[in-house]
Amino acid sequence: MGYVAIKGGEDAISNAEILVDYYRVKDATDPIEIDQIRTQFRLLVDKIMGEGSIYAPEHAAIALKQVEGDVFESAFILRAFRATLRRNYYSEVIDTDNMVVERRISSAFREIPDGQILGPTRDYTQRLLHPNLAEETFGSIEKFLEDFEAGAILENGNEIPKYSRVVDLLRKEGILRAVEDNESGRLVDITREAVKFPAPRSAALQMLARSETGGLMCLAYSAQRGFGSAHATVGEMRVGKVKIAVKDSKGRTRSIGRIKVTEAEMLSRIHVPHKDKVPYLSLGYGLCFGQNETKAISMGILDRTMRSDGDAPSEAQEFVLYHTEGVESYGFTNHLKLPHYVTFQSGLNNLRQAMDRRKKEMDKWRVGNMTRDDFKKK
Amino acid sequence: MIFDDDLVLCECDLEPLKSFVEDLEKQHSVEVIQEPGICLTMIKAEDSLEHQQFFLGEALTTECEVSVDGTAGVGLCLGEEPVRGYCIAVIDGVNRLRGETPENVSEFIQSQRVVLEEREAKEQALVKKTRVDFKLMEQD
Repeated sequence: MGYVAIKGGEDAISNAEILVDYYRVKDATDPIEIDQIRTQFRLLVDKIMGEGSIYAPEHAAIALKQVEGDVFESAFILRAFRATLRRNYYSEVIDTDNMVVERRISSAFREIPDGQILGPTRDYTQRLLHPNLAEETFGSIEKFLEDFEAGAILENGNEIPKYSRVVDLLRKEGILRAVEDNESGRLVDITREAVKFPAPRSAALQMLARSETGGLMCLAYSAQRGFGSAHATVGEMRVGKVKIAVKDSKGRTRSIGRIKVTEAEMLSRIHVPHKDKVPYLSLGYGLCFGQNETKAISMGILDRTMRSDGDAPSEAQEFVLYHTEGVESYGFTNHLKLPHYVTFQSGLNNLRQAMDRRKKEMDKWRVGNMTRDDFKKK
Repeated sequence: MIFDDDLVLCECDLEPLKSFVEDLEKQHSVEVIQEPGICLTMIKAEDSLEHQQFFLGEALTTECEVSVDGTAGVGLCLGEEPVRGYCIAVIDGVNRLRGETPENVSEFIQSQRVVLEEREAKEQALVKKTRVDFKLMEQD
């Protein structure tokens, strides 16, 4: 399909841009501070950073404020912001073994080394609305913080616990193994190299890490429901902070800060084709910015399904990776609102010509009041 | 150790860092070679079983370069933090002057490390309260 550009409308477009800003503030309420968004909407900020593919909490909060909380638009803006900056550093591989954990659970094992830590979660709470939040004041927040923080009991001085991996137990036993396939292990950067399918796993993981959470969940859920071969269990999911280290311009390795990530190790059984071979468990891997458990789990499921041979949507690598790319799919869906006058008119003309042809054809057969269709019926 | 010297400077409170660097500025001649500016760091990760490396995404980073008595110092930290980036660069330059960290810098970093460790430990203590031991229905 060809496109024909439009012109004109500059005044209306710039007025619309001002009008949407007017709608953002027209009720003249107190301006929301960026720090308030960054801290009190932390999960939303985390989600946007993941989909925007840039870890920048303050800028994610600004994007959210700018577009009145539209998640897709915020991620789009962050991607655009990212595109204006030079990439000067590559980090060392982040070490999730040494994560400062604030949450780690396993649904595969009840008892795990170093224990399960529920951490900050709403998983076990009733989804009831708390209308009293409408009355929240700075004073009530301070009181809550004071009371809650008073309960912190330091047992081992300032020692920060390190947690061993749950799945290491299965790996040592030989039940958990790498998937036996011939997939390329090449490290690809999809922001620098066009993706070709079948894509190397590194490209797939990078695309999943920046994909849209809802899209990922939709396909991962379809695989769990039976449209695919996944029957995944959370071997371990952990949320916490990891250190980022880079080589500076003098060649020295330097820590530049920490980021929060969610990591999900999804266990699923690998069926082997031959009777003499023993089935085993393998891992689908999910890792994303911030605390975004739905995304990490879905990513882990889809990492596994895309490496299987089935023909369900969740098992088709190209289908999964292209359609969960939020900025692309959001952009395409919304471009449908932009003028398509010429293309639509061209289609309409074709339809009219087809109708004319049909009418002329029918007129050839007309005898008195009888049409071609009347003859056919007889 | 979680908080190495660089990480301490990246995460400590800005006010004490600024004030410490202001003192250093009085003792040394500091010239800005590269103004603090933002750029990106691509973060490399790997899956925990097959160790397949991949790129997780980028992180906003501030970089700055200064000269301290003619010795280059480089400042790097996550986020858009021009003041912190500059301060880290000055401290780096001071450290590189004689090839070792001077005592006053060590003392400052250690004092900030203690603050950060206490803060982290306090949060960990709160997190630890959510440690769970689920029982099966047939268990007591």
